[in-house]
Amino acid sequence: MENSAEMQRFIEQEQQKAMMSEMIGKLTSVCWDKCITGTPGNKFSSGETTCLTNCAQRFLDMSMIIAKRFEMQ
Amino acid sequence: MDSFSSPSSSGSPASSEQLMEQIKAQLAQAFAQEFLETVGNKCFAKCVTKPGTSLSGSESSCISRCVDRYMEATGIVSRALFSPQR
Repeated sequence: MENSAEMQRFIEQEQQKAMMSEMIGKLTSVCWDKCITGTPGNKFSSGETTCLTNCAQRFLDMSMIIAKRFEMQ
Repeated sequence: MDSFSSPSSSGSPASSEQLMEQIKAQLAQAFAQEFLETVGNKCFAKCVTKPGTSLSGSESSCISRCVDRYMEATGIVSRALFSPQR
């Protein structure tokens, strides 16, 4: 009994981690395409860094709007 | 590997911990593979615009910078998700 509760918790934790990893992966891919338009340099310009940060946060904002909209249906 | 040849004693703490470690290792590997595939696609698109008979020096250094930048971008996006600003 002890084992399966621990296993259950483990599985839930790993699922959460996997979902986060996937979200970060997809978001990085989308925001890279939007923000890094030229050839990669030795470092990001401040514009590129800002764009990446904005992109991720605006995507979150959008997700909230969509979730709320979906709830009301 | 020894863990594959030893008899499974289901229910004992040692084997379920081993299982959890194996699962974590496999998940990490799967994630790493997916990440590498994404980086490869992005950087090939950015750096190898006209494939020749071998990778030129500038293509190689572009790829190297691209991989570094993509890893950096992953970090920036991760931090942006965990510290939202208003």
